[in-house]
Amino acid sequence: MSTLVGTALTQRFGSELALDAVDVAIDGGEHLAVLGENGAGKTTLLRILATAARPTSGSLEIFGLDAMVERRRLRARIGFVAHAPGLYPALSAAENLGFFCTLQGVARSRVAEVLDLIGLADAGRRPAAKLSRGAQQRLAIGRAVLHDPRLLVLDEPDASLDSDGADLLARVMRGRTAIIATHDHALANRLCQRTLLLRRGRVVGVPTRLRVVH
Amino acid sequence: MRTISIALAVARKDLTSEWRTRELVPALAQFVVLALVIANFGFQIDSHNAVAIAPGVLWMALVFAGLVAFGRAFAAEREQASLEAMLLTAAPPAAIFAGKALAAALLLAICEAVLLPALALFFGVRLSFDVVSAVLLATVGMAVLGCLFAAMVARVRARELLLPVLTLPLWIPFVVVGGQAVQAAMGGSVTGQATGLLLDLDILFVVLTSLAARFVLDD
Repeated sequence: MSTLVGTALTQRFGSELALDAVDVAIDGGEHLAVLGENGAGKTTLLRILATAARPTSGSLEIFGLDAMVERRRLRARIGFVAHAPGLYPALSAAENLGFFCTLQGVARSRVAEVLDLIGLADAGRRPAAKLSRGAQQRLAIGRAVLHDPRLLVLDEPDASLDSDGADLLARVMRGRTAIIATHDHALANRLCQRTLLLRRGRVVGVPTRLRVVH
Repeated sequence: MRTISIALAVARKDLTSEWRTRELVPALAQFVVLALVIANFGFQIDSHNAVAIAPGVLWMALVFAGLVAFGRAFAAEREQASLEAMLLTAAPPAAIFAGKALAAALLLAICEAVLLPALALFFGVRLSFDVVSAVLLATVGMAVLGCLFAAMVARVRARELLLPVLTLPLWIPFVVVGGQAVQAAMGGSVTGQATGLLLDLDILFVVLTSLAARFVLDD
């Protein structure tokens, strides 16, 4: 059974067509890479799949629920890493995660587990503003898995990560359904079973089905 | 209970950030004191007209300080892209809104702790419990309305222009009733009716903005 089914997802920004009737389906536990040039519509698609944006038209079902209606219920099961880390610079790494523990309704003991998972166990007390860009990205990834989501949506999470970043992504994606937008084809091949190639808002190749790489 | 704990966590987060960065409160405190200094020189204040002029100056300073405080409540979240992260959790938008409004109201209350003694000093008016309670009651209603419109305009470029245009008309009842309450209290009269009306306005706008917050914050 598919975890996520998007049908004819279309997004317009004024007269600009950012996504043109994109169909996407992903099974439970599967990892899908979304590839494409800058401006291809990757971020737009991922924001829709993470329920951060509503499409102009089309339908989206996640875990059997209508994503246009059951947004809050779904958000408890989705972890999203956006382009910008979106951290609170004056709060420490642990405080950032602790705050989101309250919002997600998970125990504070999860903070230490996640800091360990993302390799920031020693940096928990440092303000987010003082962390390197890569460490901030790790923290954003940690925040996305804080509530143990079943679906992970990652928008170019490798952008600022160091050479160990791929291992971190493999760790957090393990056992979860994941969609990852990236420019790194090698990373996509390593982490994902399938790819979806976008160009100017359209799926390139097979129009309605995903292109199988492996 | 969960709604309250989320609202308190959001407020604590905002207050902790402000305490560590000290971006807003020192500037606002300076602003309200400067406004009083200018008014002090601009008006010919004497013991006869101080009670009539001081409430007007007080509310002018509060309104403009409030616009800055409430505007920053959501603008800062948008700038650091953290609002989306917060809204993409399972937390109810109304709880997030309540926390933001609570923090903004407390920050404005800190400015009022500077403003009111300075007003008494510059204008020679007496501060009483009634004056303080009228100002604090008005702050609650102004905070929820200011934060709601700040959340609405945070995503547009002309937010600094739009926020006063949207907010000021709905703050007029607080300025009118609060002005009457403060003037009566400074003159030694009873303020019960005006204070009761401020409380009614607070309840009305807290309920209305809590209901509207979901639609404003949820894209």
